[in-house]
Amino acid sequence: MKRFEYADEKISDKQILVAVPSFVIGIGILSLPQNIASVTTASDGWIPLLIGGVITVLITWSVAKLSASFPNQTFINYASTIVTRPIAIVLTLLFSILSTSITSLQVRQIADIAKHYLLKETPVEIISFTFLLLIIYAVAGSRIGLFRLNTMFLPFVLFVAVIVIVFNIQWFDPAFLLPTFETSFSGHIEGIKNSVLSYAGFTILWFYITIVKEPKKTPKMAAIGMCIPVVLYIFLYLTCILVFGNSVTSNLQYPTIELAKILEIPGGILERFESLFFVIWIMAIFNTTAMTFDIAVLALHSIFANTGKIKLIFIIGPIVYVTGMYPQDLVQVSIFGSFIGYSSVLYTVFVALLLFTIAKIRRVK
Amino acid sequence: MVKIRINSFFNRNRKKEPKDKNISQLVKNIDENLQNIKTLLDEPADLAIRKFTVRGSNHQCAIVYIDGLVDGLYVRNNIIENIQLETEKKQLPDNKQKLFDELNQEILSTTSLQIGYTLDDVSNGILNGSTVLYLDGIDKVFIIKTQGWDKRDIQEPVTESLIRGPRDGFVEDLRTNMVLMRRYIHDPNLRFKTYQIGRRSKKSLVVAYIDDVIHPDILKEVKRRIESIDTDDAPESGFIEQWIEDNYLSPFPQIMNTERPDKASAALMQGKVVIMLDGSPFVLIAPSTLGSAMQSPEDYYERWTIGTLLRVLRYLGAFIAIFLPSLYIALVSFHPGMIPTNLAFSIAASREGVPFTPLIEAFLMAVTMELLREAGARLPKTIGQTIGIVGGLVIGDAAVQAGIVSPIMVIVVALNAIASFALPAYSLAIAFRIILFGFIFLAGTFGLYGIIIGYIIVNIHIVNLKSIGVPYTTPFAPTFFKDWEDLIFRKPVPQLTKRPVYMETKDKQKVDKETR
Repeated sequence: MKRFEYADEKISDKQILVAVPSFVIGIGILSLPQNIASVTTASDGWIPLLIGGVITVLITWSVAKLSASFPNQTFINYASTIVTRPIAIVLTLLFSILSTSITSLQVRQIADIAKHYLLKETPVEIISFTFLLLIIYAVAGSRIGLFRLNTMFLPFVLFVAVIVIVFNIQWFDPAFLLPTFETSFSGHIEGIKNSVLSYAGFTILWFYITIVKEPKKTPKMAAIGMCIPVVLYIFLYLTCILVFGNSVTSNLQYPTIELAKILEIPGGILERFESLFFVIWIMAIFNTTAMTFDIAVLALHSIFANTGKIKLIFIIGPIVYVTGMYPQDLVQVSIFGSFIGYSSVLYTVFVALLLFTIAKIRRVK
Repeated sequence: MVKIRINSFFNRNRKKEPKDKNISQLVKNIDENLQNIKTLLDEPADLAIRKFTVRGSNHQCAIVYIDGLVDGLYVRNNIIENIQLETEKKQLPDNKQKLFDELNQEILSTTSLQIGYTLDDVSNGILNGSTVLYLDGIDKVFIIKTQGWDKRDIQEPVTESLIRGPRDGFVEDLRTNMVLMRRYIHDPNLRFKTYQIGRRSKKSLVVAYIDDVIHPDILKEVKRRIESIDTDDAPESGFIEQWIEDNYLSPFPQIMNTERPDKASAALMQGKVVIMLDGSPFVLIAPSTLGSAMQSPEDYYERWTIGTLLRVLRYLGAFIAIFLPSLYIALVSFHPGMIPTNLAFSIAASREGVPFTPLIEAFLMAVTMELLREAGARLPKTIGQTIGIVGGLVIGDAAVQAGIVSPIMVIVVALNAIASFALPAYSLAIAFRIILFGFIFLAGTFGLYGIIIGYIIVNIHIVNLKSIGVPYTTPFAPTFFKDWEDLIFRKPVPQLTKRPVYMETKDKQKVDKETR
């Protein structure tokens, strides 16, 4: 008789399939169409989005493959077998720092957007603080709870995204699609860079694959999961272009939310759909932030195994808050954001290459 | 815990081989024995002692029982009459021990009979409704099961009424409840495991399960938790629920209760455990999940379209029961732009002259609503109607006339209350009404942002909640798509071929596919 197992602290590879898009979909997509549209002409943005997507799926797959080849071993453990323990500790510590900064960025950005669209009067500090408390509550619970939250929230998020696309069909103007293929090569490169930055979600795989029960199919699942945001982003981008046109899109700060703004619900039971859209989107942002915070804690916990999880949470929490509140205005936040984005992608790719090469050279199995 | 185990261990030993003379051992002299039991119980008025001689010999014997706890007719026909009449036809042995055996083997025509050795056995037996038969010169007694007391007839359950479905409900008497279960399930694998709960009250508790369906780990865990109960009294199954639930801080009920044998037997069929406590018409169903708490037996009795629609309606009701007042507050005080223009005008007009903010207004109305509900539940039924009228007037008309609350708020709160009472599980409805207040405050301080924060908090809480080790949000997350066919939507009965996958039952198939 099988033990009563699924309630334990192990996840199935299907939950990785859900966790990857939950992690990727977040604040990034709200402004992504603007980033892409501003460097491409007309509707050409789908090309860099697709290429960037393929690159990301490949990275995701290989990171998952590498982690899955060390089943039930934590990152620090298999990194130690590949590149000695001191280096592994440094790598893990950097992951923790990186995750902490991503968390603080998210906490800050959500407050900025919430202030803009929902709570005009409430100070950013308060909004961030409540959100951070929420994150702390989530992370203080069980890790598997976070995965269940992914499963609970992702359907809502995808549903509201589909609604935004479908109900905007009436505003579509095919003329905005033309002229095609006129973007310069450097524009495409810039676009690919922007799209890869917004897809950056492979960090979680380094740490979460260790708690997958049977990680055989996990690389495939992670790759499929990664395809969900790629497809969704391309559709949302195209909807933006079809509705607003390239020039308007590249001047809107959050084109995706603006899409929700012009949407009309049949029957007129609700106006200003963008508020509702963003409220639902908070669930997506919550998932992303909770998982990054959890990884920061998890990474630190793997170094300082004797320190309790709750203690680590209360050490990282204030740091997140202070870092998040440090940028003075939106410009600084976006500088901070792009810095974090670059470093997270570059660092992941660097670690992946490093571990891959050395594992191959030293033939670590 | 350990202490109790050791004690019961000794008890068992003592019953088999009475070696320790000091533990209020019975003596051979009948008068001394009777005096001992009288002293122990302090000669209560309802203690009946009848001494007589075994006909055809000069042996003294006595029966002792508590008047009212035993079936008098049974005692007379099967004990006294036999000892006095049957004995005439027989040649009775003179040896006392032989007479005792003879009584045991041939004369007493009772169905259940034990032999007791100590004063403890005697007093437990008497207080249980057994009749104790002493024989002079023997330091053993017969403890004869003669329970028979007044009990409530089987009636339609008050708290869970159905339009279509069986009309019988559990009663306070444990034996009757077990009989009801037996009549619903004629499976030889239906098991009843009996425990004794309460150091003083010594109530019987029965754990029912179907042995070749239930997952052994769940059964083991339930048994372990029941054995860990250490209390002097358990007047209602609610005590048991609170002793064995996973998280006592949670507002959510992790163990369901029901008065309906059909619901209990359906739970058994799903690989769950039913816990019955003597003296309570509410039996417990464990483990139970959020999804199962939203179901009513009637979903299955009516055809699948109706069943499905009812469930959809119920989920909508749950949404209204939790969110409606807070959504109203958030929209009116933070996001008036989201309300369609015409509606916004009429809301604004109706709020004209209302002195409170929507938050205070909703809070006042919700508290009034709770007071009315509580008063209605406590009062005798005849006065209950008065409460209805007064409450209706106060909540509805007068408050609006006086300009204290706006008419729309009355609609919102009334709809909210109705929705919460449309849920099949009262304990869950109460949980929803508790969170409702939290949502009202969050909406009043942070608007829609507050509501979504609250929603996420509730979700974080329930994904970490378990019921006897089964995650509370199963089968939503962890996801079991196979179980979704009987979750919000219900497939037609012939297609419901599997027991819930999430219960990991031993016997997975409800319907044998090949014979269909």
